[in-house]
Amino acid sequence: MDELTGSLWRKSRALSLYFMDRRAFLALTGSSVAGLMLGHGPDDDEMTDEVKRVLKARFGDRTLTKAHVQFDIPENAPDGRFVPIFLETDLPQTPDHSVKAFHVIVDHNPDIYVAGFWGVPSIDTRIKMRRTSYVRAIAEMNTGELYVSAKKVFVTLNGCG
Amino acid sequence: MATGDARVLLPPSVTNGDVIYVRAIIEHPMDTGFFRTAEGQPIPAFFINDVTVMYGDQQIAHFEWTSGVSRDPSVTFPLKATREAPVTVTWKDNKGGVYHQTVDVRFS
Repeated sequence: MDELTGSLWRKSRALSLYFMDRRAFLALTGSSVAGLMLGHGPDDDEMTDEVKRVLKARFGDRTLTKAHVQFDIPENAPDGRFVPIFLETDLPQTPDHSVKAFHVIVDHNPDIYVAGFWGVPSIDTRIKMRRTSYVRAIAEMNTGELYVSAKKVFVTLNGCG
Repeated sequence: MATGDARVLLPPSVTNGDVIYVRAIIEHPMDTGFFRTAEGQPIPAFFINDVTVMYGDQQIAHFEWTSGVSRDPSVTFPLKATREAPVTVTWKDNKGGVYHQTVDVRFS
């Protein structure tokens, strides 16, 4: 009797270990696969020195706030020659407080300042990208505030040469 | 089709006070200067760097581009139709080319 219960206990223990291991294994691989796919955390969009230099040349020492710019850009861009981008803000547009300009910066392009659009509350266009990098959209308000937003875009085909 | 062929598109019917979307397209190679031909000769940079949009006699928008904008650039932007006036888009490239296209806003 003792032997039987003992063996049963051992068996169930082994079984539970097996399940735990499998679960742990699945959890581990799941997280590592997710980590590989994402490759970055939510706030992993530190500006490179080049971006900081361009921003300083254009805006001086004005502070940039991470808010209010909304832009649509595909997460995966198969063709770096045509990456559609749509820019707008979620702020109401009044004559006292409206968007003066939008600026687009792509971190790893040969010329990282891609375009500036003055006088439009939203813009829809297509840009080129050399390789996977962050795309930064900056909204300059007529009161002088600067809002910024960044998104990582995965590029397969080099569109810049 | 040749470089400089441009179109400015408006919605088919416009009423006073509407916010309409204006689409401006131009044929342009937008060469970055980094590509080479099949013979190995570099293709010099040739791109549009300045765009202005006039509504009547008022300048409503101004875009500053580099070679990072795609070939045959197209832009879509909203415009509040407050009067019947022509919308003129002017593109200027880095080799001195100037291209115009005009379309009239007519209320229906």
